[in-house]
Amino acid sequence: MIDFSRVQKELQDCEKDKDASNIRVCPKSDNLTRLTGTIPGPIGTPYEGGTFQIDITIPEGYPFEPPKMQFSTKVWHPNISSQSGAICLDVLKDQWSPALTLKTALVSIQALLSAPEPKDPQDAVVAEQYIKSYQVFVSTARYWTETFAKNSSIEEKVKRLVEMGFGDAQVRSAIESSGGDENMALEKLCSG
Amino acid sequence: MGDLLSGDDEDYYYSDQESLDGLDNEESCLQPLSSKANTAKVITKESLLAAQREDLRRVMELLSIKEHHARTLLIHYRWDVENLFAVLVEKGKDSLFSSAGLAVVENQRCGASSFSHSSVMSCDICIEDVPGNQMTRMDCGHCFCNTCWAGHFTVKINEGQSKRIRCMAHKCNSICDEDVVKTLVSKSQPHLAEKFDRFLLESYIEDNKMVKWCPSTPHCGSAIRVEDDELCEVECSCGFQFCFSCSSQAHSPCSCLMWELWKKKCQDESETVNWITVHTKPCPKCYKPVEKNGGCNLVTCICGQSFCWLCGGATGRDHTWSSIAGHSCGRYQEDKEKQMERAKRDLYRYMHYHNRYKAHIDSAKLEDKLSDTIREKVSISEKRQLQLKDFSWVTNGLHRLIRSRRVLSYSYPFAFYMFGEELFKDEMSSEEREIKQNLFEDQQQQLEANVEKLSKFLEEPFDQFADEKVMEIRIQIINLSVAVDTLCKKMYECIENDLLGSLQLGIHNIAPYRSKGIERASDFYSSRNSEEPVGELCQPSDCGTSGWTSGFDQALGSANSEETSCSSRKRPRKDGSYSNTQTSLLDLNLPAEVTERK
Ligand SMILES: [Zn+2]
Ligand SMILES: [Zn+2]
Ligand SMILES: [Zn+2]
Ligand SMILES: [Zn+2]
Ligand SMILES: [Zn+2]
Ligand SMILES: [Zn+2]
Ligand SMILES: [Zn+2]
Repeated sequence: MIDFSRVQKELQDCEKDKDASNIRVCPKSDNLTRLTGTIPGPIGTPYEGGTFQIDITIPEGYPFEPPKMQFSTKVWHPNISSQSGAICLDVLKDQWSPALTLKTALVSIQALLSAPEPKDPQDAVVAEQYIKSYQVFVSTARYWTETFAKNSSIEEKVKRLVEMGFGDAQVRSAIESSGGDENMALEKLCSG
Repeated sequence: MGDLLSGDDEDYYYSDQESLDGLDNEESCLQPLSSKANTAKVITKESLLAAQREDLRRVMELLSIKEHHARTLLIHYRWDVENLFAVLVEKGKDSLFSSAGLAVVENQRCGASSFSHSSVMSCDICIEDVPGNQMTRMDCGHCFCNTCWAGHFTVKINEGQSKRIRCMAHKCNSICDEDVVKTLVSKSQPHLAEKFDRFLLESYIEDNKMVKWCPSTPHCGSAIRVEDDELCEVECSCGFQFCFSCSSQAHSPCSCLMWELWKKKCQDESETVNWITVHTKPCPKCYKPVEKNGGCNLVTCICGQSFCWLCGGATGRDHTWSSIAGHSCGRYQEDKEKQMERAKRDLYRYMHYHNRYKAHIDSAKLEDKLSDTIREKVSISEKRQLQLKDFSWVTNGLHRLIRSRRVLSYSYPFAFYMFGEELFKDEMSSEEREIKQNLFEDQQQQLEANVEKLSKFLEEPFDQFADEKVMEIRIQIINLSVAVDTLCKKMYECIENDLLGSLQLGIHNIAPYRSKGIERASDFYSSRNSEEPVGELCQPSDCGTSGWTSGFDQALGSANSEETSCSSRKRPRKDGSYSNTQTSLLDLNLPAEVTERK
């Protein structure tokens, strides 16, 4: 029933310009019903530098029904549940059109990261913080990005610091104690 | 005559001349007849298509557009043709169309425009190359392959959004042409196409504020269309009488909100539970409920256990009026007692209103049965060699009785909320409330007294009486019929002007009083030419919109509001220009004094 040839074509299309858009879609299972989307946090936002993973489920009626998407990376954002990763976005609901694709949906999600809509919140706690104390919101969101959306790059940081001649265990504890900040970890390693 | 009428009988006869006329000119059938404002129509499964077409036709003609475009517009404007025309005048055609998602170019052959076999096109949905003849372009210009369109329509119809299916292109608000939908869906899934057709048809009921399904259970299958005012009560052809505003049983003069609350309150057994908590306490030993009798707070269960009524604690038997030996239950009991007093007061208040409401509802049920007896008595009387030949005053009196009995019944839940604390606590001072309550209860009592009297006279075995006595009863019944009608009118006026009128809360919808009872909706066809091919009307499932014969179109073309109002005017009514026979018939039924004065 699912139009796999269309999903297949979409994947090929994504693969072609993955360097330009930095958006990736990879199958999780063989039958293409479950996929993982990856988007970079938009520049100039508290999500900058993070890489966010999104679980995608292709429904029976795709592309006439919208794909189901939710964050598997934890995000602090008024329109995304901090608990479940559920996304409140019109194109994933009533504004979905069969002419849209997985990639365009992911682009819309990326745009949502840049432009939160606290008046239509998915997470009331985050939305309230966003409206009442924006600075606290920014630092919380940044902290979450640092903690959850950069996990994959910790290995890279470890690798770089190990290459500089420090021991693996030493490097890991330094990174952990400096909250994931590579420079701070380096300072610690040099001083200690 | 009754205490109410004594002294100013004449006033009644004159001021109420009109309703008396109406009383005598109604046809002598036991069904309450509707007045000239007979505008409610019963729409059955069979007449639904025709009912819709009337509105479709007006829009199609005015805008010279095709039927499916007219339907899209009407669905968007909730079948409110007047509003649609108002938007047209105010904002113009383009704005009218675009707001409804219509991309129509006048007189253009719209809908599916196909391309040739040879041209191969790319469909942006399935991302396949498709021969041109398998592509369909919608009115908005967006073009996709037939398989994709069908897939889109299938999902939307299954979702139940099928009345207005939007184009597949992102952010295109254009509504898909229903003919294209039907054609493309029916190829692979004929049952879905039928479902789509049914949705379109039923939109006339579900999206239309002037049309409502009859709320009868089991559902009779009909819907009712009203003409001008949604605030009314109607009777469906199945006999069910309901409030058009809230779709529950007819309840005027109780407002929709009050009726909603009252229904819940009556269903809610908490009142009964309250009664038990107020009047009984479980024995601390055997847990049986024990009722208190007498003023003493020491109660004894049949098991022999004594306990304190105030706190429920087990005690010894030694006690005085004020205390029980070895027992004290402190301040807590006082609060609890106050709470109980309050619950008791509320309960008694509710029971006061409920008992009266219930009593009148029960009487109404008995009086419904009276219809048969009265019909019999009338036919016996008509065969007798009496001076009096016309007995319409009996049946008309019965109608008035049934009508005013209803008013009386529902005036009790009205009063319960009007003078209670639930709805208007802060709207009136207690003095104000008392004045209003006295005013209303005075009217209610007068109505009650006259209704009971009328009921009593109607039960008399007048078919066995001699001429003189029949005449006497006739005068009584006519006078009382007029009196209860006047009192009902007065009660509605009082509610509107003196009770609710001065309050801020404007949410109390009360269907207006009609002397002749709840309007019976007439069959959708009965207002038209009887030669209309009713039987030939095709069922929605049998034919698409194209299945309409021009013959039927013509028949409908002449059907209009003139004819509708005409047919109801045909019914003999007192309009001042009456034939002699009718005038004399009228005189015959007037009270003697009045006739003489003429
Ligand atoms: Zn379109
Ligand atoms: Zn296609
Ligand atoms: Zn009905
Ligand atoms: Zn109502
Ligand atoms: Zn006991
Ligand atoms: Zn005692
Ligand atoms: Zn006690």
